[in-house]
Amino acid sequence: MDKRILDIAAIAAALVAPVFFGPYGHYIMCMATIYAMVSLSLNVLVSEAGLISIGHAGFWAVGAYGSAVLVERVGVPFEVSVVAAAGLAGLVGVVVGLPALRVRGHYLAIATLGFSLVLVHVLYEWDGLTGGRQGMFVQRPSLFGWSLAEDRQAYYLCLAIFGLLVLLVRNFRRSLGGLSINALRQSELAAQCCGIDLAASRLFAFAFSAALTGASGALYGAVLGQLSTDSFTLVVSLSFLTMAVVGGMSSVWGAVLGGLFLAGAPEGLRAFEKWQMLIYGVLLIVFIRVLPKGLASLPERLAPLIGGRR
Amino acid sequence: MTLLSLVVSGLALGSIYALIGVSLVIISKATDVVNFGQGEMAMFGAFLTLTLLRQTDMPLWLAVLATLPIGFLLGALVQLIVVRPIENAPALNVLISTLGLFFVFNSAAGIVWGFDPHPFPSLFELAPITVGGVAVTPASLGIIAVALSVMFALYLFFEKTRWGTAMRAASMNRTAARMMGIRVEHVAVAAWGLAGGLSVISAVLIAPLTFLDQQMMVSIILKGFAGAILGGFSSLPGSVIGCLILGVAETLFGAYVSTSMKDSFAFVLIILVLLLRPSGVFVTNRAKKV
Repeated sequence: MDKRILDIAAIAAALVAPVFFGPYGHYIMCMATIYAMVSLSLNVLVSEAGLISIGHAGFWAVGAYGSAVLVERVGVPFEVSVVAAAGLAGLVGVVVGLPALRVRGHYLAIATLGFSLVLVHVLYEWDGLTGGRQGMFVQRPSLFGWSLAEDRQAYYLCLAIFGLLVLLVRNFRRSLGGLSINALRQSELAAQCCGIDLAASRLFAFAFSAALTGASGALYGAVLGQLSTDSFTLVVSLSFLTMAVVGGMSSVWGAVLGGLFLAGAPEGLRAFEKWQMLIYGVLLIVFIRVLPKGLASLPERLAPLIGGRR
Repeated sequence: MTLLSLVVSGLALGSIYALIGVSLVIISKATDVVNFGQGEMAMFGAFLTLTLLRQTDMPLWLAVLATLPIGFLLGALVQLIVVRPIENAPALNVLISTLGLFFVFNSAAGIVWGFDPHPFPSLFELAPITVGGVAVTPASLGIIAVALSVMFALYLFFEKTRWGTAMRAASMNRTAARMMGIRVEHVAVAAWGLAGGLSVISAVLIAPLTFLDQQMMVSIILKGFAGAILGGFSSLPGSVIGCLILGVAETLFGAYVSTSMKDSFAFVLIILVLLLRPSGVFVTNRAKKV
């Protein structure tokens, strides 16, 4: 019961928070929410399905460019384009995952790595559609014709979509598909004996994760106002993974903490800009070793030390 | 350029991929880890070699020989410090740690040696000569020769020495190997060290052609993966042949089809191989029954 109180408190805090910050703070909060969506998608992939992607920046790019092109070139309303971007990213996820998921886990990592490198290359070369080297400008997010010109307004949209995605993920975890994928992670053999289709379940989980990232990408492009291929490099994919590991991959709390980490770290580390990637790398190694479930598991790890209960 | 000279430079490129590919396969066979940081460790080792070269008046060939112990030390240390403590954790966690290694070595090289490309002296002449009517660069021939002799030494090591036999045994069945008195922990360190040595050689061989910089190995490790998967990730000779084929195919693709999409070629190949023959072209498929 006290867990629910904590959840409500967190939602209230997220709703009230913009009051205490200026426009730049609102921008950071938008980014934190957008990153938290990616973190959520990695939660599904890594902790539910036991798979890994080193190319989630690629799906992020599919979402961002997909939505931007739909809005700018085709004239689709923003809210439709977010859904379309998610669908497109999911579809691309099927194409990338289809061959890799039939074999062992690390092939998926290699396939996603290759995919993201190639995708960025294609986006860079495809001048006519994406603006290539110059990048492209993207309209502010809008809702039913209302432009959300300020980051404070955009933040509430991001928050609402994040909430929606959280509900989706929770339902997925409880659905037959979610349970199958969980069973597969624990024992491929036992799960398959129960009649679970290994390839189909994993493919669905992977595509689902890619779609969540695609939705996040659509928001990212709109909030930032411009896109260039520099935002979707391998380093970004690895930063995503760092964020998911640091935050913790087995809960929504972890996703939120991860998002806050990735949005806040560049601010906190501004003086050490050159060292940022090194710090991420060290964090990855140290967290996996010391706190593999991330910051979100800190309370339960500390509880025995403080209270001695349980 | 004639077809034959393209094939030679493709083989040289393939040899570089093969050294990286083989080091990935050695680690994967011995410790069940796919090390995504291998390319960056190679790049870091090449920078260490360059520093050695600048600080001392060592002749170039000696410095190139020194890459082997440098790489071995690097690989062994990484195994002991980073991988050993989590060897009982889920495979995924180890994989994530190797991505951490990628970050650490990539940015450490940038911090120590700067983010600009450094020229790297070449053992071999870079200007093309004509051999039997075919224009080839001595560098290509040299790379192929070095890689082939390293591969041959590797073959002798695995087939003829006690250590090599122990490593093969440990990769087949760890428990049985342990019961036969093989120290599996030592095998893991040796495998990481060996792989480190091989990959630093590949970085030092490619550096004169591409310049030594912090990002140089990112695409090369992907090619190493691609070649190894093409030939069969579980087989050392298969992965070497796969990498050589990839090198030639890629060079021909670049010359006759499209230069700018050359890098994408390897990735499409990965997808195709995984789709059609996931265990590799040269490995007979062992179906696993459920």
